[in-house]
Amino acid sequence: MDIDDLLAEVSADAVPRETRDLQELTRAWVAERVAPELLPHPEALMERVLGRIRKQIELVEDQTGNMDPRANFTLIVVQTELERFKFLVRSFLRARIKKIDTHPLHTLNQHAASTATSAPLLSTAEYQYLTQHQALLSQHYATSFLGQFPAALQQLDDTTGISMVDKPDEDAAVFCRALREVGEVFVEGTEKRFEIKRGDVWVVRWSVVRDWVRSGDVELI
Amino acid sequence: MALPLPPGLTPPEIAFLCEMELVTVIPRQKLERLELLGGSLPPLNPPHRAPLPLWLALLLKRQRRANILPPLWLSPHSLTAILDHETEHGDGFSPPPRLPPLPSQNTLPFSPPFLPSSTADAAPDALPYHWLELGEMLLETAADDFEDPDSVRKLLRGLREVRMAKLRQVVETLDAAGGVNMNGVGGMEVAEGRTFVTGVIDGLRKIVTSREQQKKDRDREERENGDDYDDDEMEMQ
Repeated sequence: MDIDDLLAEVSADAVPRETRDLQELTRAWVAERVAPELLPHPEALMERVLGRIRKQIELVEDQTGNMDPRANFTLIVVQTELERFKFLVRSFLRARIKKIDTHPLHTLNQHAASTATSAPLLSTAEYQYLTQHQALLSQHYATSFLGQFPAALQQLDDTTGISMVDKPDEDAAVFCRALREVGEVFVEGTEKRFEIKRGDVWVVRWSVVRDWVRSGDVELI
Repeated sequence: MALPLPPGLTPPEIAFLCEMELVTVIPRQKLERLELLGGSLPPLNPPHRAPLPLWLALLLKRQRRANILPPLWLSPHSLTAILDHETEHGDGFSPPPRLPPLPSQNTLPFSPPFLPSSTADAAPDALPYHWLELGEMLLETAADDFEDPDSVRKLLRGLREVRMAKLRQVVETLDAAGGVNMNGVGGMEVAEGRTFVTGVIDGLRKIVTSREQQKKDRDREERENGDDYDDDEMEMQ
């Protein structure tokens, strides 16, 4: 490590929290748009970002009455940026809802398994949405047609034989970029081995890089 | 409610990402320091240069409040050199810009669009991740800030052709296992190639699924049993 590296590290730490959060939120959004399965909800990050958005909205509301042309222009800048942030947050949450809707039972199982860990899969609101939506759906199915089936065939989550619980394709190919050295990876079920170095872009199976994406060593693009 | 888009970023979303890239502007008006959600904005004091995110630079440019200084790699000279490199080396894209030093283990590593790869002092010899989008957007809104916008436009078109041809060549190397190196690929190129490349890999994988499953089971068995691997045992399971 030479002096340049040391200086760069000091400056990287000096990057304000807001900018780091923007990088993190952007990365989470891209990952959620690209990954075939739902990723853990970044609770702390979302709390910080939503808090700041709320404050910024208040600021805009306070200053809208101000007719000074110069203040007016800064308000345009502030509002443009606010809209960009709102788009990021909205698109991120909607991408998550899409995955929750596509695989509700699988998500529910995964969430139940993850609540004990430090990174639960769903936020409280998402969990509420999922359980209530699912309750409405199964009630609707039961009254419209399932109720007329024999009791043994009424389940929606039968896992004997071929599982009824639909899962996302965990081996789907994704584009990713290494943020740190990863080393040699191995594609299970094939003879393929290759080394992922920092900065490399690879097309690989999601299941191969999943753990590194979660730890933040690899990002999806 | 739920997002109706298929997985993978769409071109407008890539453009949105690209608008977060920092570019250098020469302000023509004063603007005070502003506290924005993504960090505070430096005060603008003409004629001092300042790094600003592209979306703001374009806004200022449209209102004639600033001029944008195009990055050095967008000069005809650099683009010609990169284009020559691309045509001479048929295998793979031209190398991406040099990475910043590795951050320590517990700091957040930054990546495009948050690396200063398109400011006035960025490296002149490499195409950054958002090269195509950034070039197009600057040429559209700030063509008068270029010395020779027409030749830049022509060179970008040439680069795009050469690199698209390379992206198509990748198809021949695709197999079921994936693991294709794409160093130096651009954001818009990923968006364009994604459906096809991942579609081919996923399709091939589905064809050999059962064979892979057998190998997976065999590997697992070997790991569990250590060296004394037994055929009979496998048949029983």
